[in-house]
Amino acid sequence: MVPDFVLRPPTGSYHALNPSTKLVLAFAEAAVAFGVRGWTGPLVVIAIVVATAMTARVGRSLVPFALAVIPLVASILLVNTFLFPGATDVIARIGPLAPTWTGLEAALQATLRVAAFALSVAVFALTTPTDDLLADMERRGLGRRGVFVIGAAIGMIPRMVERASEITDSQRARGLDTEGSRWRRIRGVVPLAAPMIIGALSEVEERTMALEARAFSAPGRRTILRPLPDSTGQRTARWAAGVGAIVLVAASIAGILPVP
Amino acid sequence: MRDARYAYAGTSRQVLAGVDLDVDAGRVVAVVGPNEAGKSTLCLVAAGLAPIAIGGRLEGSVLLAGDETAGLAAYQAAQRCGILFQNPATQLSGTTSTVWEEIAFGPRNLGLDIGAIVERVEGAMATLDIAGLADRDPQRLSGGQAQLVALASVLALRPSLLVLDEPTSQLDPAGTRLVGDALSRFAAENGTAVLLVEHKTGLVARIAGEVAVLVGGRIVERGPTAEILADPALAEHGVDPPPAVRIERAVADAGRSGDLVGLDLAALEMEPITGSPLPTGAPLPTGTPA
Amino acid sequence: MNGQFSTRVITLMPVAIAINIVLGVTVQQVLKLPIYLDSIGTILVGVLAGPLAGALTGILSNLIWQYAPGIGGGTIGPFAVTAGVIGLLAGLWGQLGVYRSRPASGTSLWLPTVIAVAIILFLASRIYGNPAYNDPAYFVSWYSTAIVLVAVVVSVAVVAWVVVKRDAAGAWVALAGAVTGIVAAIVSAPISAYVFGGVTGGGTDVIVAALRQGGSDVLNASLGQGFFSDPIDKVITSFVVFIIIASVSPRLLARFPNGERLTASAA
Repeated sequence: MVPDFVLRPPTGSYHALNPSTKLVLAFAEAAVAFGVRGWTGPLVVIAIVVATAMTARVGRSLVPFALAVIPLVASILLVNTFLFPGATDVIARIGPLAPTWTGLEAALQATLRVAAFALSVAVFALTTPTDDLLADMERRGLGRRGVFVIGAAIGMIPRMVERASEITDSQRARGLDTEGSRWRRIRGVVPLAAPMIIGALSEVEERTMALEARAFSAPGRRTILRPLPDSTGQRTARWAAGVGAIVLVAASIAGILPVP
Repeated sequence: MRDARYAYAGTSRQVLAGVDLDVDAGRVVAVVGPNEAGKSTLCLVAAGLAPIAIGGRLEGSVLLAGDETAGLAAYQAAQRCGILFQNPATQLSGTTSTVWEEIAFGPRNLGLDIGAIVERVEGAMATLDIAGLADRDPQRLSGGQAQLVALASVLALRPSLLVLDEPTSQLDPAGTRLVGDALSRFAAENGTAVLLVEHKTGLVARIAGEVAVLVGGRIVERGPTAEILADPALAEHGVDPPPAVRIERAVADAGRSGDLVGLDLAALEMEPITGSPLPTGAPLPTGTPA
Repeated sequence: MNGQFSTRVITLMPVAIAINIVLGVTVQQVLKLPIYLDSIGTILVGVLAGPLAGALTGILSNLIWQYAPGIGGGTIGPFAVTAGVIGLLAGLWGQLGVYRSRPASGTSLWLPTVIAVAIILFLASRIYGNPAYNDPAYFVSWYSTAIVLVAVVVSVAVVAWVVVKRDAAGAWVALAGAVTGIVAAIVSAPISAYVFGGVTGGGTDVIVAALRQGGSDVLNASLGQGFFSDPIDKVITSFVVFIIIASVSPRLLARFPNGERLTASAA
């Protein structure tokens, strides 16, 4: 028997959906958020995403993802509100600054689009373990090479981040400035990047040998340990979400979608 | 292998210049030698990974369980010969979330059915006594534990020959002891042929029945472990003898030998010499890291 | 060995993707510099393994960056298109032998260098002379100066490399980087403008703001920012990759699909 910690029966109803269903849903949401211009698209998507997050009980975990887009949102709001090309409907003049209503509207819409997109991906990431996604993609025909590249890259990132912050810390301890002027920061990149890149690349040869020693290049399909149930209902839902998103975006671009 | 000569792609220098070596089932043969003697190359050639996976030119004959390695694909060689490298971190696939799945990686690559995979994974874990790690995250293991998981992953392919390329050289003392213990248990109980390639002689003294000395791509000496390791010529080849032999010599040199001089070397071999740190205050040189 | 996707390339790709993402996050979000440095891995794979592997590395980098638990790049996903094109171009340069060391002297050393520097300076002058950048009413004083300064620094670096190492490859690499950068800018601008209203939340937004203040519209501001950041970024990145490749032993290089195009001597 394959042990339970490998099979990992999913808990909770949304988590138990097939990874492809959740992936298609995330893509459809992203398409509508970007493709349907104006207020409606992003707002509807945000509503759906928040509802999904509540159902899946991952609402709380969404917060860091939401915080991560703050620098971008701030940039969008500032640049567009104060510097919107051709806008004349000035809200108020504050010294040399002239925020405009047109700019503010564009900025808010862009903010909503970005938030809707980032959150829909976040809900997907939070409810779908990477190895479930890869197992499902493998079952649908993705080869072992593709599965390895994606899986190993995702696994390597946190380790490399750890390593990068170790290097930054040790260099800060040696007096290297990571907060100072632009020029100082640029100089900081080289000693940061070089050991990281060289360290990682020097391991490629060893990793290759280790993979070959574990029959990685054997022909045929690999065995998949974890069964991931799918259903007719989910298949239908995937098609509906995919086609629906395309139709909505097409209608919006053609200008025949009667929404603000 | 018979008169094996090997040169890497793009070079003409033969890193192996005519090596004759054989390892029978159930035997543990160690190869020692100085840096740059061609030890790691020997491992790749013996395991059939060179030239298949790295190119280069192989002359002579290398047989794995009766088949010429030159005619095997890498995955076929992997089922005849397992190889364990130095660094545990680079040997884990990095794509699995439990030790169990990590060990199943090789058998899954072969496309075996689930029953066979379960049997091989459980078997490999039992052999190395690491069933307790099954549900752990492979990235959160100690160096010694990770090296054992890497070894189990290779054993799950059921090779008839196991090549160990300095298996403890990148481990801390605790890891060295853990892996050393597991390997000596494995060597004693299992029928697998083992080729141990080492710089440090502590592990060699403990598990190998026979030792060959590799210098400049050639085997210059070969014989029973006790004999070779006690041979004064060993140091001339750039290999430090194991601590037990060094102790004996130091005592003999001091001229205060007493009854220690006549000490049977075989008796010393029985002691757990693992390359672990020497007792504090012991004025003995430590082995040069590889 | 399996064409562009040998096991060795398959092991290199995740490393390259992780380098792209970690370095990209550090440079753009932590250090807030007006460049990206998120394509070293992509260009490395392209050069070593060919256009297809390079393009895939770029595309996957951005998609994984978007998805990566804990990092979740807010906007990077849609730029997978640009990253793919960068990898594709790097693969082409690799196959053309651009990254091959070319020991040279005399005319064969100077001619490509002069051409490369001329092209870099020409590109800078096109940006410098563009009215979008220097409307005297709103002009941000450091901007034009910065372009000229950076172009000169890059040119000097190229010349210095070529002269010190007596290796004409430096000039070709710089040129390939500049062309890659321009193509990347053209591909990214519409994505940036249409999808995100022209900004990305990174250090490059300073430039977008400066251009808007100078009177550019959304697309042109993005394009202008791209023409500033991308060629510089890609010349630097290409040089980094060139130095990495030069430091890898020929014995290991030869094992990659493009190996012989990187190691064979010019003669």
